[in-house]
Amino acid sequence: MIRYILRRLVLMVPVALLVTVGVFALARLSPVDPVLVFAGEERDPAMLDAIRHQLGLDQPLPVQYVAWLSHAAQGDLGRSFQNKQRVTEAIFERLPATIELGLAALLISITFALVIGILSAVKRNSAVDLLSTSITLMGVSFPSFFLGVVLILLFAYVIPGRIFPPGGYVPITQDVGENLRRLVLPAVTLATASLALNLRQVRSSLLEVFGHDYMRTARAKGLREGAVIVRHALKNALIPVVTLVGIQIGAIIEGAVITETIFSWPGVGRLAVQAIPSHDYPVVQGVVLVSALSFMLSTLFVDVLYGWLDPRISYESAAA
Amino acid sequence: MAGTTVPISLGRARSDRLSSAAYFLRRNPRMIIGGLIVIAWLLAALFAPFVAPYDPIKVNVVDSLQPPNPQHWLGTDDLGRDVLSRVIWGSRVSLSVGLISVSIGLLVGTSVGLAAGYLGGKFDLFVMRGIDALLAFPALILAIGITSALGPQIQNAMIAIGIVAIPAYARLTRGQVLAVRAREFIVAARTIGASPLRIVVRHIFPNVMNALIVQATLSTAFAILAEAALSFLGLGPQPPYPSWGQDINYSQRYLPNLKWWMSVGPGVAIFTAVFAFNFLGDALRDALDPRLRRSG
Repeated sequence: MIRYILRRLVLMVPVALLVTVGVFALARLSPVDPVLVFAGEERDPAMLDAIRHQLGLDQPLPVQYVAWLSHAAQGDLGRSFQNKQRVTEAIFERLPATIELGLAALLISITFALVIGILSAVKRNSAVDLLSTSITLMGVSFPSFFLGVVLILLFAYVIPGRIFPPGGYVPITQDVGENLRRLVLPAVTLATASLALNLRQVRSSLLEVFGHDYMRTARAKGLREGAVIVRHALKNALIPVVTLVGIQIGAIIEGAVITETIFSWPGVGRLAVQAIPSHDYPVVQGVVLVSALSFMLSTLFVDVLYGWLDPRISYESAAA
Repeated sequence: MAGTTVPISLGRARSDRLSSAAYFLRRNPRMIIGGLIVIAWLLAALFAPFVAPYDPIKVNVVDSLQPPNPQHWLGTDDLGRDVLSRVIWGSRVSLSVGLISVSIGLLVGTSVGLAAGYLGGKFDLFVMRGIDALLAFPALILAIGITSALGPQIQNAMIAIGIVAIPAYARLTRGQVLAVRAREFIVAARTIGASPLRIVVRHIFPNVMNALIVQATLSTAFAILAEAALSFLGLGPQPPYPSWGQDINYSQRYLPNLKWWMSVGPGVAIFTAVFAFNFLGDALRDALDPRLRRSG
């Protein structure tokens, strides 16, 4: 297995380098001169030249790329044009809020996916199965920002008592209750899309497993239906679900972009969105890079985990 | 004798085809529902100037913030603009971004996949690493990155979503090419001296078509959703031009005043359009890919 992981890591290097080229190119594609953005009100040509030199933008592009990459490799993604804060620092400051939101959403998504998915697979063509199919269909087609707006309207304004606030964030260290109260609506909004995918996966995996001979054997030897489902069906059916969830963990920042914007949640996604209108490229670049790398690492982790959970997968044949 | 049998057999074949088509549609209600909603949105987008009851950008402060009523079926916004008219005109943006970006992804991705799969070797290795690099970006993050770099305009949203769509087509096409390139009919074509271009275009491409049609339909749904998300973030068409995502964002400021109708119109529009393409894509997959039909 170690050989397989090492091989995957080596293969990841050229792809990661191409990703960094892409991220670097993003900022250079812009028609807006970053020097003018950095300089703010300053328009003195000598001053602008000095800033250009200071930022290294007077160098040829390959030199700029190598310099940017070597800094990035040491965790230095530059400074924000807006407030001159280090981008790495800005991202790490906001990462806990994003992770909290992402994990809460995943928890909701997995819990509901398991409960409804198992019931709908066991009671096929029942009312629960119809509910499961409807959630799947709605979840993949319902835009999260519209769902967020509907939830705000209902729970913050229409239903008396303002059960949940329309947005904002209170750190968990400051007030646990208020933090959780403000977490509910964004977490439900973020959970909906992944719930649809997880639910579909749980149901279809279970239905596939139900057709296998060992299920018949388990029933034939007199096991109760609950034990058959939990000990034999779920154990095998959850392998693809685990991999799907692993990929969703890697894509937490992507999912959070919209939700954090709707609910004024001060996470990494909102940081990127706020940086866009002011052409704060180092910030956008930093968020794109961090989310791409975390996505790549989670994919690798999922591949390894998949093989560990399912002994039928041979690392030797995968490596060959 | 032959003269009497031929017309009869042709007539029977035609009626067989018609009845089998009717049977197929009866057995695939998803295709009818999805197809009808897609056609309805396409017609609304094409004939927006004739279908929309009002000018979508004309300010009419006297009629501002009216709830749905017989004059304004979906109400009006704070500037008195008719929400229904903005939804109908907004379909032009969403569907054009959806269709054009999918065309970009389809054209580039399929060409790359065909070339990589057929040529193989170092070309395949290098090109597919580039595709892997594109896949390494979460789709929406990449679209946001590209659009924010190029500037918030509708054509940049099309380019961004198109680039995001490339890897799916490239990998799909390459996989299909690898599956058919060793088959007898390809070997036969090569043996009789057909050029690589002819083999790819005339023999391999038709075998990939079904999978591409399904992928294109499903990715149109994603493209509409992505365009709405970009517009919601202010990276799509700019005000006052109507766009579903941007209109939902704009309506947020009136939620405390319970002016719900400003967001419901565009929200339901996005949902129905995305739902219809997903529904149609699923039905097409069942119909065009017999392997999935058996397993599904």
